[in-house]
Formats: sequence, structure tokens, C-alpha cells
Amino acid sequence: MSAELTTRPISVARVVAALADPPSGGVVLFLGRVRADRVGGRTVRALFYEADPTVAARRFAALEREAVRRYGARKVRVVHRVGRLPVGAVSVVVGVAAPHRAPAFAAARFLIERLKREVPVWKTERTGRAPRARRRRPPPRRRGGRRSG
Amino acid sequence: MSSTVRVLLFATAREAVGRPAVDRPVPATGVTLGALLDDLAREHRRLAPVLRVSRFVRNGRYVRGRSARVRPGDEVAVHPPFSGG
Repeated sequence: MSAELTTRPISVARVVAALADPPSGGVVLFLGRVRADRVGGRTVRALFYEADPTVAARRFAALEREAVRRYGARKVRVVHRVGRLPVGAVSVVVGVAAPHRAPAFAAARFLIERLKREVPVWKTERTGRAPRARRRRPPPRRRGGRRSG
Repeated sequence: MSSTVRVLLFATAREAVGRPAVDRPVPATGVTLGALLDDLAREHRRLAPVLRVSRFVRNGRYVRGRSARVRPGDEVAVHPPFSGG
């Protein structure tokens, strides 16, 4: 069992290799990819991911232990990428090996849902111009009457 | 001996301050987390709304509320709402 933050592209083959386990007949993988959302009228070209590595490592470990305890997963591997990721890049891989498919699916679902809520990882949109937060401007001052129409 | 507290800033907190970390001088007796954050928010006005929705970590552990004491050499992290995955 292990989790990892990496700045390099995630190798799905290596995740699968890490889940090798003769008594496990089911392996479920979840891959999260960078989506080309529309933000403020522009299409996202990349996302910048960052994490608090100390706290993230501890939360990852706790979630993995819980996946084993609750679902009987035998092997768990979570890899989250950080840094600038272009649209289409794999940002996260959750892999679970369990004796049967039902606990493998359940544990993978549990891990990705809880990861999103509980692990200190953040993403910021990059649309090809300045980061989103930097492009925010104060609202325009109201003068006189409203525009009609 | 360090007489400062290092404040780590992530995501919107980092963007509000313009740096990933700041060192704040604190007295040897320490200050409350709330006082430290209020002080920082006065200097960086865009940080205030971020702090209202953030959680805080002292030396690697989450702290509840803002009455926790921080002392020279401590490290505090500001965690805005997470958005990984």
C-alpha cells in the first residue's frame, strides 16, 4: 500500500504492477484527467496542481488503511500529480486490488471521493493568460441609472 | 534561535499574498493563531476572505479554532478548501 505525489507523468502500468497480488481477482483503476472547462468565457488549457505534502501523505495513508478495513481491499495505490498539467493529462490514479470486483469498485470509489474532500491538494485554472485569481477585478462602479435592455 | 513563525500559503491564499510562504516575527511567549492571521490579513487585504473559509495546520496537525498558540519556530499552513482529483 502506498500513495505518492509526483511532478512527473503517472505511469498506469506501474500502478497496475504495484497491485500484483495472487489472491486478488479484481483490480479497479480510476483515472482523473484535466478537463477542458470553460472559465470566464475562455477554455481551460491547463491546471496547476499543488499540495501540502506533509499533511497529504498522512491523509493518504489514513484513507488507504480505511479502504482496507472497510472493504477488504488487499492492495491500494494512489498517485496524484502536481505542477502544471495540460488538458487530457492524468492528474490522479487510484488503484485497488481485492479478491472480488465488488469490494474493488467500492474501495476505489471511496478513495477518490474522500481524496477530493480530505487531502490537501488544490488546482488553479490556467487559460493561457494570467491565472484566474489574478484576473479578477473589482466590480464596476455603478453610476446613475441602469442600462436598459 | 528563530524568532519567527513560517506561514505556508497554498492555492488562493498564495495568490492573495503573492508568495508561497511568509515569515512573521512573534514574541518568545507566542501569539494566538487568530492574532497572527489577523495581522497578515491587514497587510494583504485579499487574504481575509480566503482565511474565512480555510483550515489551519500547526506543525503538521490541524488545529481547531483560532485560539491555538503559535510560538517562534512553529510552522503554520493555510489550507483553503481542497480541489484535488
